[in-house]
Amino acid sequence: MEWIVKSEIELPAVLKEMLETAGNRKKWMFTGDLGAGKTTMIKQICKILGCNDDITSPTFSIVNEYEVEKGVIFHLDLYRLKDLEEALNMGIEEYLDQDVYCFIEWPAVIKPIWPLDAVQISVQILDDSTRKILFL
Amino acid sequence: MAVNLLAIESSCDDTSASVLQDGNILSNVVANQDVHQLYGGVVPEVASRAHQENILPVVDAALKKAGISKKELDAIAFTRGPGLIGSLIVGVSFAKGLALSLNIPLIQVNHMDAHVLAHFAEDPKPDFPFLCLTVSGGHTQIARVDAPDNMTILGKTIDDAAGEAFDKTGKLLGLPYPAGPIIDKNSKLGSALFNFPKPKVGELDFSFSGLKTSIRYFLQKEREKNINFIEENMNDICRSVQDRIVSILMDKLETAADQTGIKEVAIAGGVSANNALRASIKEVGEKKGWNTYIPAFQYCTDNAGMIAVAGYFKYLNKDFVGQDVAASARI
Repeated sequence: MEWIVKSEIELPAVLKEMLETAGNRKKWMFTGDLGAGKTTMIKQICKILGCNDDITSPTFSIVNEYEVEKGVIFHLDLYRLKDLEEALNMGIEEYLDQDVYCFIEWPAVIKPIWPLDAVQISVQILDDSTRKILFL
Repeated sequence: MAVNLLAIESSCDDTSASVLQDGNILSNVVANQDVHQLYGGVVPEVASRAHQENILPVVDAALKKAGISKKELDAIAFTRGPGLIGSLIVGVSFAKGLALSLNIPLIQVNHMDAHVLAHFAEDPKPDFPFLCLTVSGGHTQIARVDAPDNMTILGKTIDDAAGEAFDKTGKLLGLPYPAGPIIDKNSKLGSALFNFPKPKVGELDFSFSGLKTSIRYFLQKEREKNINFIEENMNDICRSVQDRIVSILMDKLETAADQTGIKEVAIAGGVSANNALRASIKEVGEKKGWNTYIPAFQYCTDNAGMIAVAGYFKYLNKDFVGQDVAASARI
């Protein structure tokens, strides 16, 4: 699927559609350049899922954990990790193995261990406020 | 008799141990090449497995440097959270195991509170109540501190931390990670020729995500006109970005001081090593009649010394925890 989103206001509708389409697929891989809006999208998805926590960038912390009524959501950012070994050492498999949502930014470093049913979201910058979003 | 406290910090990348005696820090060791040269081997990078390899040599080095044997310890303080769970577990488990074997009490410390209380590692120490702006790679917040165990968060970032704004700008400019110190250095040779917008967020909250995006577009547009724009204007771009980040931080800190009427003002966290931020807090402080406080660099970045200081306040209150305590990614 593919969307052209012209402003942040249009995002929630698109994200709701994505959540419905994804169904039980809970490991989401977000790719896109710096400033494309990956964290912004994850922020909105978490809100749709009923999360009231502050959602901030996990670039430094690598993993943020948010509370929702039925458990937790993991927000990961692998930007600082150099290779798969570093990701394995920080315990990436323990996050992927749990039956909870994992929204992962900069996931290329763990591509060899992406779950087979991983959702792939690619965000492309068209201009200042317009984004092309691909959903696989 | 003297009170000896061991503190352990393992919330993110760095493993650190510190020994404190009656409120004075005797040692503050962070796992690095020096420690590893003593014991052989190389420093592993990010991750819990690295903490497992680091923790024994680091604790041992901290005790030796302090000249204290483990039998002389009266309590063990540790970072319970927030942080990366796998990393926290290593420090928490080690602290619990050692406390159990020595039959001494355990003290849990909140990493963010410890950054603020790092101001009590050395003189001059702020008077209560004071305001503390904590800025690092992962955090940006202003707290009102009424007592060691009474802090109120007045504002915080709604997206990226200030340190991240430096690092991601560096990425856009092709600088290596972490870019903060390099941007700081380049800025000294540049002028603030380029103007970047200020974010519009709640009164005392911060936002740096929009700044990152606007820098990106700015560079893209300029490079369409001149492909060597970044290389030719590196110092001026660095200065412009740095000035903007610092002005965003200082504006909010000034607002917080005006609103609360508090004139004891402190900064903490790794980004407080930034020269422009240090100069700015002094300058604004003089203008406003504040007493300003910036801790020594070793207490700004993640370190166990600040955990020891925070732990000692709790020791005096006999605020101990049992062996059932567990690491917590979010507290």
